[in-house]
Amino acid sequence: MASDTSASGPPTPTVSAEKPSAPPVNILSSPVARIYSVVHPALLLTLCATRFEGLVENPTKELLKTLPWLTAIQISYAVICLPPAGSTSSTESSVSAPADGKTSPRSTSGPSGGRHGKASKRKYTNSWTCIWSRLLPATLSLALTFLLATPVLALVLVLFGAPLTTHNAETVLCAAHMAVLSATSLIYAHGTDRGVWNEVWGIARPADAVWGGALGSGLGAWFGAIPIPLDWDRPWQAFPITILVGAYIGYALGSLVSRTPLLYGKRVQFTAEELGNKEKKTN
Amino acid sequence: MAANPPPGAMGPLWTPNVSKSGPKSPAAQSRHKQTGVLDQKALALEDEFKTKHLGVLGVLAWIMLLHVAGIYLFTKGFLLTRMVLENKSSCDVLPFDDVLNQPQGALGNQEKGCWHEKTFDKAVVIIIDALRYDFTVPFASKDESETAHLFHDNIPVLYETAVQNPANAFLLPFIADPPTTTLQRLKGLTTGTLPTFIDAGSNFAGTAIDEDNLVAQLHHAGKSLVHLGDDTWQSLFPGYFNENLTHAYDSFNVWDLHTVDNGVTEHLFPLLNPQNSTKWDVIFGHYLGVDHAGHRYGPNHAAMASKLQEMDRVIRQIIAALDEKTLLVVMGDHGMDAKGDHGGESDDEVEAALWMYSKRGIFGRTSQDTILPPKFARDRFVPQIDLVPTLSLLLGMPIPFNNLGSPIEEAFSGAGGNNWANMATVNRLTSAQVKRYQHQYGIARGAGDDKESMLLYSAAEEEWKSASKSFSSKSSAARASNELYRKYQRHTLDVCRGLWARFDVPSMIQGVVILFAGIILLVIYARGLKMDRTQLTPRLLSFVGAGAGAGAASGTALGLIGLTEMTVIDFVVLLTAAGSIIGALPAIVKKPTNLTVPLPSGMWGWLAFFFTVSQSFGFASNSYTIWEDEILLFFLTTFGVCAGISSMRQKQTTDRVLGVYHSVLFVILGRVASFSRLCREEQMPFCRSTYYASSTSSISAPWQLAIPFLVTLFLPSVVRSFYVGSKSYEGAAYLWIGFAFRLGLFITSLFWMLEGADDGEWLPISKETLKSVRVFLAQLVLALALAAGTGAYLYCKPCVSINVTKQPEDPTTPPDPITAGQPQGPRTTVTILGFGNVYGTRFFFLVINFALATILMQKPMGQGAIALLLCQILSLLEILDTNALTISNSSIGPIILGVLGSFYFFKTGHQATLSSIQWETAFIPLSTIKYPWSPLLVMLNTFGAQILAAIAVPLTVLWKRPLQTHDRVPASEPSKNPATRLLSDVVQAASTHILYLATINLATTMWAGHLRRHLMLYRIFSPRFMMGSVVLAVVDVVLMVVAVGGVRWSTLSVGEVFGW
Repeated sequence: MASDTSASGPPTPTVSAEKPSAPPVNILSSPVARIYSVVHPALLLTLCATRFEGLVENPTKELLKTLPWLTAIQISYAVICLPPAGSTSSTESSVSAPADGKTSPRSTSGPSGGRHGKASKRKYTNSWTCIWSRLLPATLSLALTFLLATPVLALVLVLFGAPLTTHNAETVLCAAHMAVLSATSLIYAHGTDRGVWNEVWGIARPADAVWGGALGSGLGAWFGAIPIPLDWDRPWQAFPITILVGAYIGYALGSLVSRTPLLYGKRVQFTAEELGNKEKKTN
Repeated sequence: MAANPPPGAMGPLWTPNVSKSGPKSPAAQSRHKQTGVLDQKALALEDEFKTKHLGVLGVLAWIMLLHVAGIYLFTKGFLLTRMVLENKSSCDVLPFDDVLNQPQGALGNQEKGCWHEKTFDKAVVIIIDALRYDFTVPFASKDESETAHLFHDNIPVLYETAVQNPANAFLLPFIADPPTTTLQRLKGLTTGTLPTFIDAGSNFAGTAIDEDNLVAQLHHAGKSLVHLGDDTWQSLFPGYFNENLTHAYDSFNVWDLHTVDNGVTEHLFPLLNPQNSTKWDVIFGHYLGVDHAGHRYGPNHAAMASKLQEMDRVIRQIIAALDEKTLLVVMGDHGMDAKGDHGGESDDEVEAALWMYSKRGIFGRTSQDTILPPKFARDRFVPQIDLVPTLSLLLGMPIPFNNLGSPIEEAFSGAGGNNWANMATVNRLTSAQVKRYQHQYGIARGAGDDKESMLLYSAAEEEWKSASKSFSSKSSAARASNELYRKYQRHTLDVCRGLWARFDVPSMIQGVVILFAGIILLVIYARGLKMDRTQLTPRLLSFVGAGAGAGAASGTALGLIGLTEMTVIDFVVLLTAAGSIIGALPAIVKKPTNLTVPLPSGMWGWLAFFFTVSQSFGFASNSYTIWEDEILLFFLTTFGVCAGISSMRQKQTTDRVLGVYHSVLFVILGRVASFSRLCREEQMPFCRSTYYASSTSSISAPWQLAIPFLVTLFLPSVVRSFYVGSKSYEGAAYLWIGFAFRLGLFITSLFWMLEGADDGEWLPISKETLKSVRVFLAQLVLALALAAGTGAYLYCKPCVSINVTKQPEDPTTPPDPITAGQPQGPRTTVTILGFGNVYGTRFFFLVINFALATILMQKPMGQGAIALLLCQILSLLEILDTNALTISNSSIGPIILGVLGSFYFFKTGHQATLSSIQWETAFIPLSTIKYPWSPLLVMLNTFGAQILAAIAVPLTVLWKRPLQTHDRVPASEPSKNPATRLLSDVVQAASTHILYLATINLATTMWAGHLRRHLMLYRIFSPRFMMGSVVLAVVDVVLMVVAVGGVRWSTLSVGEVFGW
């Protein structure tokens, strides 16, 4: 089937927009960014560890209380360590920006991302422009995280078996935490680039500073669900706790590991292997 | 390779047989000859397909027999079963064979006592749940370091009275037979028999005791019985108690230490008042506080101490209020472990206490050693079943028929402890009853009497006769015969324990080994072969046959010679299975080049592997077994998410959009289905049942009756939309889906509406009329689905519509391969609608038939679930197609079908417990029990989801499978018959599906065997093992007969139209 498509008729517009895939995002080269990029996962885990008892005691209250702190940590990580959307230092930005603008006219960041990309190239020294170029993606990422990512993740939690009729506050807050963990930096770094997001939904992003954390938090939350049914009668086995702790740990591990040279830029192999094996298996 | 034909492909390349035109020219003449050759070739290919199809069925049958053999061997060693005899002892028939041999005296006299002169008129039996023996005796340290705990020395009254007034009271350790749950214990304490996992009696589903028992005997004798406390008694002995005086309390609220106890005390003492003494004969008071304190706090807690002190006060008050005619019994039904829980068979759990008290001073001790109550529970104990003959004879009742216990010495030896004649008499009566029971049981079982016990019994009888000649109370002969009767009773008890309570571990291991070897072979066969599986069949079957034959012959020979301790049948089964396995190995691994390492490859393979293996490991934990339904939902959603991700990676937009759409649909449908739940007891309080109107009823709520109508309205349309998607809603599909299926569903809805009307008495029509109308409707649906449906399936044409249109000549078009020989005349264009999914849509008719039958057999909520299952199966097939998983024979399709089957088992109101079997569904299309239909109907209700999923398995390779005929096979393998290739794919999918269920079955089997001493064995692991085994056997049969069997007709009908 794969061989078919290469020759097949008119390529759809999406396919063409997808073609120049956005390269992996790296931590900015400033020393502050370097240091904070390592401190940040540790900070998150410390937050998780210190508030754990409170979380077990009263999940809703604690989740609500820690959400601003988590948001602050995440957004400062994005602002300090990551290149904002459209300003990617690679040659790609000039290519992707127009394509971006064309494919997603509905979004505000599409055109603006392109503009700021140019602006950053022209005058990076201008501190106002610099701050502005970061402030806008940051606001956008926060807005989208809470308005879009949180409901979507809450829905996913319910689909995976979270209670629908009870524990609604827990579910939504858990989703909000997971969204802040995974989506903030993704949106900050990529804006609403449709090609990138198509890759995100296909788990096809190259491992980098933002994708590793997002994927890690998803996997961590998945594994976090495993101890819930066990009959150990521990209070921390209550619904959102293990999932959230899994997401935090997964995020920290994922964002650290995916920056190592061993994994950086690699993509999750999904079916490529299978295509190779197909001949053998069809027999 | 046209892997993915656009929906409703036009097929100008194929010339269907129907449109063959006559010869017109010399060129056409030669073509005619060629056609003749082609026809012959097609016939040959058809015959080859039919033969190989039979061969494949043979292989599946062998796999099934292997599973049955493994399950049989394991079950024989593991499942302890006991037949429940309906016989009852009666007052005027003594248990002796020989009527002349009966002793004179109080024969059949209710006033003086039935079999033996009664000692007491009345009794107060107090059960203090979980009263462990060491609670009742002064603290005695087993080693130096141990000091008294909070639970020691808080209920001294029992020990004090037994020491101070031995003639008035005695205290003994009272050993329970596991499982130490209250329900099983009450059975033992009243019937005098041993508990087994299955008490195979007539009343299999209910909890009421239908064996002869003490409560029933008292009731029949016209005694007024009062029950106070734990409501378990009410479910065991419904209708036996005096309703005005009885007060039952909920027993499951372990957090509440006082309600039950206060209730018992409140209602007990007024009855002990002399003016009320004529109102009752026997009181059963069941205190739960000690047990609940144990569950909640554990024994070493101040709450336990104060509870025991409260019990001490209560007993002292009862003693004060007691009259001379009344016997007081205080006992624990089991003990508790260090955490305060029970259910298993650890020492702490089985060691309860028994104390009897009477104001008359009739209890004796036969020796100096036994004057004091034993220090430790293991020193000198009585089994709990001994209470039954003791209490029966003391109250002048006949001993219940099934009793295996012995009279307690202290109660019959007289105040002096030397009334050997009385003891010999009661032991003789008990022994005779035990013997009578053994004899009847032997007859029911089809086995003879145990020789050794017969010898012991006749020796005791001899001694008895010699003693009766020179009768005196101190006679040594009486004493000797007493000893011999006693020995006989204990021997019989041991024999029965061996029969009912001892696992046959070697047999279990044999079963596990057979099942394991079966899985290894299945792994190679399903995932490790590169070749066409149908080519393997002749060799495989002949080797298997030879191996099995050799095994059976040597098994019979060795068994008859007597070289083995196993019975001949078991030995033959074992050797036959082993022989066939050994025979199959060389047949499968004949050519190493045909083998691949059967490791999963790619994400899908690993996902399938992960689902199967992680679930198998999960069954080692009782929590994952209890919450299996939620875990399956988690897996299904995970699959759906992975499918969505994979679909996002597809390069073609149609594949991507369709794949993501169906993945989302798949996940949402699963989640919607998960709202249909029937909680098992262990899931409380974290689960709310929605399957029935309320958690305490088994009828549907009125709103649920709308579900069948919604299913009628939507399900055929949904199925239709999947047919329309590939332009396959042609031919028989209109009639089948649009009319017959909808009609059947509508009649089903009417049926359940009438059922609801019957339950709610909404209609002024007699119940009999309603019932006969319902039975008629149900039989109509079944006839439509299974009789007419199968007939139509056998003869139906594929869902295609063929249009032949003549077009004016168009020289620019290159000639088609097949029409090349034709003269350049007016061109004929053949348009075939529904061409893209010709195999899948044809086969799906079979799924529709069984879906209709299954839906009829489900309660309304379950009908919605089955409808969702059908939609999920269809979505799954689309996902498989858009992700190119049907043509690559991925293992994920058949395994997700397995997961779906298991998931919907739970969503149709079932759990892995015996109590959740919906027996009443046998009466949906029948008004009386009819064999073999009734069990089959219950099967269809219970395993409907698994059956439906199994039937859908061939679709994982047939759905949207491109049509292949022998003139279109790849040039690399021209001799290949495409139909056998299809067959090979189908059987690969089927064996992958079996592999999933066989792995689950092996896991549950091994865990149940390994955890056979686990306290949750009877509640969790055993039922899950039984379910896994039955599911495997049912699915083996369904796959072989219906699914793979049905492929024959769908392929033949496609071949008939499109050639071979």
